[in-house]
Amino acid sequence: MASSNPAVIQTCGLSKRYRKVTALSEATLTVPQGRISALIGPNGAGKTTLLRLLAGLARPTGGEVAVLGGAPRQDPAFLAEIGFVAQEIPLYRRLSAEDHIGVGAHLNPRWDAASVRQRLKGLNIPLDQTVGTLSGGQRAQVALSLTLAKRPRLLLLDEPVAALDPLARRQFLAHLAEAVAGGGLTVVLSSHLLADLERVCDHLILLAASRVQLCGDIDTVLAEHQVLVGPRKDTTAIEKAHTLVQATHTARQSTLLIRVGGPVVDPAWEAADVGLEELVLGYMGQHAGPAFSHLTSVGEDQ
Amino acid sequence: MTWLVWRQHRNQTYLAAAALAAFAVLVLITGRQMASQYHSALTSCAASHTCGNLANTLILGTPVLSLLVTLTVVVPCLLGVFWGGPLVAREFETGTSQFAWMQSITRSRWLAVKVGWALLAAAAWGGAVSALVTWWSSPVNALNHQNFQPGQFDIQGIVPVGYALFAVALGIAAGTLLRRTLPALAVTIGVFTFLRLVIGQDLRSHYLTAVTTPFSFLHAPPSPKGSYWLVSGGVVGPAGQVANSHAHGGPGVSFGGVPVPIDNMPSACRVLVFQSPLKFGSCLAAHGYRGFITYQPASRYWAFQGIETGIFVLLAAALIAVTAIAVTRRDA
Repeated sequence: MASSNPAVIQTCGLSKRYRKVTALSEATLTVPQGRISALIGPNGAGKTTLLRLLAGLARPTGGEVAVLGGAPRQDPAFLAEIGFVAQEIPLYRRLSAEDHIGVGAHLNPRWDAASVRQRLKGLNIPLDQTVGTLSGGQRAQVALSLTLAKRPRLLLLDEPVAALDPLARRQFLAHLAEAVAGGGLTVVLSSHLLADLERVCDHLILLAASRVQLCGDIDTVLAEHQVLVGPRKDTTAIEKAHTLVQATHTARQSTLLIRVGGPVVDPAWEAADVGLEELVLGYMGQHAGPAFSHLTSVGEDQ
Repeated sequence: MTWLVWRQHRNQTYLAAAALAAFAVLVLITGRQMASQYHSALTSCAASHTCGNLANTLILGTPVLSLLVTLTVVVPCLLGVFWGGPLVAREFETGTSQFAWMQSITRSRWLAVKVGWALLAAAAWGGAVSALVTWWSSPVNALNHQNFQPGQFDIQGIVPVGYALFAVALGIAAGTLLRRTLPALAVTIGVFTFLRLVIGQDLRSHYLTAVTTPFSFLHAPPSPKGSYWLVSGGVVGPAGQVANSHAHGGPGVSFGGVPVPIDNMPSACRVLVFQSPLKFGSCLAAHGYRGFITYQPASRYWAFQGIETGIFVLLAAALIAVTAIAVTRRDA
């Protein structure tokens, strides 16, 4: 993939503290144009905070953030380029989808009302019924369609599929992939379940303990990691050459997830490619921050 | 944005319009009856030269109706509670502020349009109710001259508009800062009632220096022309002003509306209190006691209306400024 793509999102040391809690700490990440980025992390990892900072709904307490070339701000021209769907999928419950189309038409310079009607009709979602009477999945579809009607360049979705059943999830993501295929759109969507997003995403931001653990194109990230399986023995040599993400030991055998720092030369280790889920779980298992030098191993019998 | 505001609040507006219309019908029908009752009474008393006593013989309206009109004093507070409180707080509670703020519109414009319409509606409803009450009360005002008195002053003229603007602004500000509707409603009711009472009871009589007129106890206290507001009255003895007995809990009597602290009166006069007010008065006069009244003349009615309205409009403006800062500076 062309890494020379202009970055749609660029943050440096981005932090957000609420009175006593640090919700996001020193997040430095880049999302190039055209990616569908999975923002993965356990609950409370700072996903919502990051998305709200990118949308300009919250202000950072530290660091820099540039979205589409500038700081997120209360400016119609900036807001016209950003689509954001909050986790609770806020819509005016007593207004119908058709009313919301009217709202959007009045409040946005670009507005593709026809696309919303067409999508919602295709999904058999009634346009004239108040959205309070729709199911959670239908509301999510309405919210996504409304956000897409703005023709944004960046779409930020906070746990969009959390409330949906598996079928609705698939429909929703298909709907999203179809929109991105149109071109020019960059998407960041958060979830605490990787399986939801694996199918459509080509980029990954992994948050844990309010820090960015991983950020990059999924292919690249996967290529940078390997699983080593070998007899149980001292891992100091491995840790010198590579970054040890996670170590699992049984009585005889050790399984190491490493970020590759060079070729694995020791023939005692059998190297294998790592799957995305394995990788993500490996990082999520360790909340110790980016320095993994003093890890305690999982499953070690003492 | 106006489209959205209308779409969100039109049912509420219809309801409020219906309530106002019902009130207007009632007031217009009974007001016409009262006006004609007053005019025919004027005509007949002029024929018999008894108009000086008309205020004591003629009763206009019915108690229920008078009560209803007096109750319009709560209209501004209701507007603050039902229109002001939920305006922003409800959006925070349901998260729709996030929906609105992610459209291509600044938060300041979002707020300006919402607040603008809410204040306009408050002024319209407050003003309409007040106009109806003022019109309805005109025969009563002409007969009893009580429209400068606390209670009547608060429901007539332009002050209800000021109150309504303030109440709605207060509701909006409380809802914005607290982010929850119910606490905002409680704060609105509490703060509004408190400020209205404090300003009405302690501040209003000092807008302009009251006029003090002394009088002799040989006669009834003077009665200034028109709808004056009697602020206070009392007694000046040979040694200076006599403390009002209600200040230290003693008994007092009313001498034509002026409180006389009998405990502090010469004992020779005290015994006369229950015999005859006339003898009591002569006795006080003979001992060198004089009464005085302090009042705001009827000519200051509109000045007072203007000052009080101004105070509440300024308070409303300050609250809106606080709201604007909170909405644009704080996180969503």
